[in-house]
Amino acid sequence: MTAYREVVVRTPLALKILPIVSVATFFIAWEIVVRTGVVPDTMLAAPTTVTQLLFDKFTNVDPDGALLHQHAWVSIQEAFGGYFLALAVGLPLGLAMGWFNVAEGLARPIFEIIRPIPPVAWIPLTIFWFGIGLPGKIFIIWLGGLVPCVINAYVGVKMTNPTLIQMARTYGASDWQIFRQLCIPSALPMVFGALQIALACCWTNLVAAELLAADAGLGFMITMGRRLAMPEMVVLGMFMVGLTGAFIGVIIDRVEKRLLAGIRR
Amino acid sequence: MSQEATCSAASSSIANETVGQVVDRGPISLGRILTNRWFLHTVSIVAFFWLWDWLARSNVLGAGSSVLARPHEVLEQLAVLTREELAELTLWGHVWASTQRVVIGFSIAAAIAVPLGLFMALNRYVNAIVKPLFDLLKPMPPISWISISILWFGIGETSKVFIIVLGTFVPCLLNAYNGVRLVEPELYDVVRMLGGKRRDEILHVCFPASFPAIFAGLQISLSIAWTCVLAAELVSARSGMGYIIVQGMNLSQPAMVIGGMAVIAAAAWGTTLLVTALERKLCPWKRKIVGL
Amino acid sequence: MIECRNVSKTFIQKGSQEVPVLEDVSIDVQANEFVVILGPGQSGKSTLLRIIAGLETPTTGTVILDGEPVTGPGADRGLVFQGYMLFPWKTVLGNVEMGPKLCGLPRDEARDIAMHYIDLVGLNGFEKHYPHQLSGGMKQRVGIARAYANKPRVMLLDEPFGQLDAQTRIFMEQETERIWQTDKRTVLFVTNNTDEALFLADRIVTIEGKLPGRVQRTYTVDLPRPRDLTGKHFLEMRREIIDASVLTL
Repeated sequence: MTAYREVVVRTPLALKILPIVSVATFFIAWEIVVRTGVVPDTMLAAPTTVTQLLFDKFTNVDPDGALLHQHAWVSIQEAFGGYFLALAVGLPLGLAMGWFNVAEGLARPIFEIIRPIPPVAWIPLTIFWFGIGLPGKIFIIWLGGLVPCVINAYVGVKMTNPTLIQMARTYGASDWQIFRQLCIPSALPMVFGALQIALACCWTNLVAAELLAADAGLGFMITMGRRLAMPEMVVLGMFMVGLTGAFIGVIIDRVEKRLLAGIRR
Repeated sequence: MSQEATCSAASSSIANETVGQVVDRGPISLGRILTNRWFLHTVSIVAFFWLWDWLARSNVLGAGSSVLARPHEVLEQLAVLTREELAELTLWGHVWASTQRVVIGFSIAAAIAVPLGLFMALNRYVNAIVKPLFDLLKPMPPISWISISILWFGIGETSKVFIIVLGTFVPCLLNAYNGVRLVEPELYDVVRMLGGKRRDEILHVCFPASFPAIFAGLQISLSIAWTCVLAAELVSARSGMGYIIVQGMNLSQPAMVIGGMAVIAAAAWGTTLLVTALERKLCPWKRKIVGL
Repeated sequence: MIECRNVSKTFIQKGSQEVPVLEDVSIDVQANEFVVILGPGQSGKSTLLRIIAGLETPTTGTVILDGEPVTGPGADRGLVFQGYMLFPWKTVLGNVEMGPKLCGLPRDEARDIAMHYIDLVGLNGFEKHYPHQLSGGMKQRVGIARAYANKPRVMLLDEPFGQLDAQTRIFMEQETERIWQTDKRTVLFVTNNTDEALFLADRIVTIEGKLPGRVQRTYTVDLPRPRDLTGKHFLEMRREIIDASVLTL
């Protein structure tokens, strides 16, 4: 076992340039393919057209009825509503299922029934129950975020070092004390892992919810782009969804790092 | 030391390593029954269906039968669907339509993404070219591609398969990539010490070591594939389980909607079991990992 | 047989800080000799073994094996790792026959060689087991059999029993001696355990406890085999080695 390994400090120049070249090639090829008409402009819009629409959409309401940042704001509201509800329900449920036998015995069968149903499948029922407004979408997103929250919190508790639990028992700790002071802290890294996974699930389901039933939001914008046969709007919507999702992901990552600073092993 | 003696010593050390589950058989008391796992499971399932039935009978969720169907109505509806055709297909036909899409899309994605992921992990230059493109496309949920795929391929099979390929591509590739990168580096030293070349390192270490990770990726992909096929079918289709659900919605028949949901859950569950069985078969060395 | 000439090794840590690990180490090993390199943890002795194995290149100096300088890893040296490093996806048989197969032997021949060495290390009946089904001692037997199966001219063992409990360790030491007596090879054995060194070695090379590691002394052990761990001469030598090594710490 060697404690020190040689570290190659220098990376070849090619490795630094290649990523830039590859992305640039991608966009240029895309532009050329559309401009030359290899792909008809009813099917795909050139990057420049999409960029134009991007700036246009900050001031122009037509043809989909809202400005770009209004769409984004609607989506973010829905996503975070569902996300925080999922955290608030899923994490305590998962933690309790991991430690208390009664909680696991009661919750597990229902969880196993619901888990394999893709959240998208709930959309029609949701429309029956809540209509196409905000609560319905939050419900779908909540369902999507719930599963990873429960699983990660559960696994986190189950991974608590059994020797530590036995140690706590020999010191006379009660079940509740062990749960609070041992299981929850040792499950924290897994719980924070759930924050990212749940967010990704929520964001996916948001788009699904908006594709099917909405009157605003980024997913709605994509659908409108298709209905109006405006590929540039579809592409813009997709990019905005990706961008916003990545942006929120970065924020959560930051928060997670700060909260976990002392716990990471 | 005789051969038999070493052998028995060896087998006893195996016995020492196996930790047996000690079952505590105390006297049966009320508390014991109430906290028994199977008892609680039963209570939970009965309560679930009873609550569902009660919600469907009462008007808590809204006006009458068009909001929620009672459990037995769902079963009856499913039975009807197996006999009578909906859009020229029975229930089995629709199940098959969706499964076919999932299997085709999933296979295409796995066949491209897994080798590409391995390749990226093994070659820095391939990685430098593919990774940024991949990072660019990764944050877009596969479902957001539905619209563009309809623009490209219409509403036929191709567009649905395309969505599934896109959705399952990401986890397949990521897991294959990480599987190789997380290999214990000293195992490469072993191969080199035994006289192996770079080719042997890849063949005997990289590939088998990344197998469990690849399978984990396949499992994730599979559940994404079901979500994608369903979303695509909800948006536009003339067959598949998503179509059943949409028909139920249009006809205001919650029994049909819930029936469709139940069938898709069963199908997703079944394919997951299949992949798990395949993994057991292909990776007999893998220790059991306790989880949910 | 093996000659280390003035071997030094300096690692470059992150932030380009230099860490000297070995300095001016010269060791000669004769054919079929059992040499133990004895030193405390973090004294660079594992690095020395990895240099001889060809997995690391010395910063200065050379290693010469049978008149040829070592340039890289090869099948003429068999390395047994501290952490076993078995392939978890291969059975015992699969692990052991890997070396002969990689060297291009036909399947049947590789299998026969593997079975012979599995038998030699006392694992017959366990060919179809996977490593995770074996105890630590058994895993290391597989490690030894795997290194032996390539019929290397030199066996290199890097603290092979460091992870075993005391009883299993003594048992494995006896086994190592038996295997070595049955199938004589040149052996270079790295350990931090004085008893282990005295029990096995023809010659002990001690390494100083501080980085960079330097050769401290060489002891020739000419006690008759198998050695008695509590014999008078054994204990005298033990005291001598321990006294000398404590002084440098």
